[in-house]
Amino acid sequence: MKTISIFTVAALAAGFLCGCGSSARRIDPTTQGVTTVRDVNTRDWNDVAARAVNSLVASGALVRQDGRKAIVMINEVKNRSGSRARTQILTNKLRQAMLASGKAVTTTAVGGRGPEDNATRQIRELENDDLFNQATVQKRGTVISPDLSLSGEIINQATSSGRTRENTFYFHVVLTDLKTGLAIWEDNFEITKQETVNIFGY
Amino acid sequence: MKKHFLPAAAAALALVLGASGCQDTVNTMENRDLAMNPDSVDTRAFSTDSFCRDRLALISMRRSTTPGGVMMVQAQIRSERYGFWSEMWSGMTGTNPYHVLYRFDWMDQNGMAVSTAANAWQPLIFAPGEVKFIQGVAPNSRCKDFILSVREDPSAR
Repeated sequence: MKTISIFTVAALAAGFLCGCGSSARRIDPTTQGVTTVRDVNTRDWNDVAARAVNSLVASGALVRQDGRKAIVMINEVKNRSGSRARTQILTNKLRQAMLASGKAVTTTAVGGRGPEDNATRQIRELENDDLFNQATVQKRGTVISPDLSLSGEIINQATSSGRTRENTFYFHVVLTDLKTGLAIWEDNFEITKQETVNIFGY
Repeated sequence: MKKHFLPAAAAALALVLGASGCQDTVNTMENRDLAMNPDSVDTRAFSTDSFCRDRLALISMRRSTTPGGVMMVQAQIRSERYGFWSEMWSGMTGTNPYHVLYRFDWMDQNGMAVSTAANAWQPLIFAPGEVKFIQGVAPNSRCKDFILSVREDPSAR
């Protein structure tokens, strides 16, 4: 009888502990964020973005000889890594840094997957709409074409040995001069992550 | 008493030899007559972590200007976690190599911090005795002052 009671208490305690969770809370992704081998995690994005921003600003590639701010089009950063990486996280951070540099502005009128903001084109379609004061409708031929294009690619190389898994993500970012088609800045950033799984494979 | 002394001494010797054999430090050499003429930065440090302070040595802090007129600083840091006891302790506590995080914050002329994507904590891994250079680039030409923060990476323990 006593044994049954002990087992009951132990089972209840185990069930209680297994059922425990934690309530939602804000965390510092740098030190508390989840790190997985298969994916690019928040701290990886932050690290790569910081390195890319430093490299881009240090290169002086955004500086134009005529003193005008460079107009940069955000093209596509292709994800060929097989992970669920959202490459917009990187391009958004880079465009923020370009704007903060005071040397460049980005255009939303054109982009790698079409315009980021359709409004530039849409409002010009109001030129035949008598509802609007035509003097306030933006005219055609005023939108500024980009000088530079930012693009890139993410690939990965996964390998394993025994119970150890390793995954390296390679980030390649390029800034192209649209007049000449030449890459005026490019850099590579690597992030390697490794884990050793237990004998049950997780 | 004598019966236990020999095995204990042998075990201690094996431990010492084993630990000595595990040393994996970085050795460096450089040209004695340096041609460079760097612009060194006077620094003042505020340290709250005596472990991190003793484990890393700031060898130099230099500044330069990029082609775009933006200030760039470079810290040369060496891991001081070499030597028998340091390496044995770091090996036992699983902190070899030594994982740290660093971050640059930049201020404009008014002393206001300028936010940028480069403000994030960035990881850095030191082998014992290894020298690394960390560079920070100001977000724009108006930023001339900076704070470099360094901390141990708790997620790597």
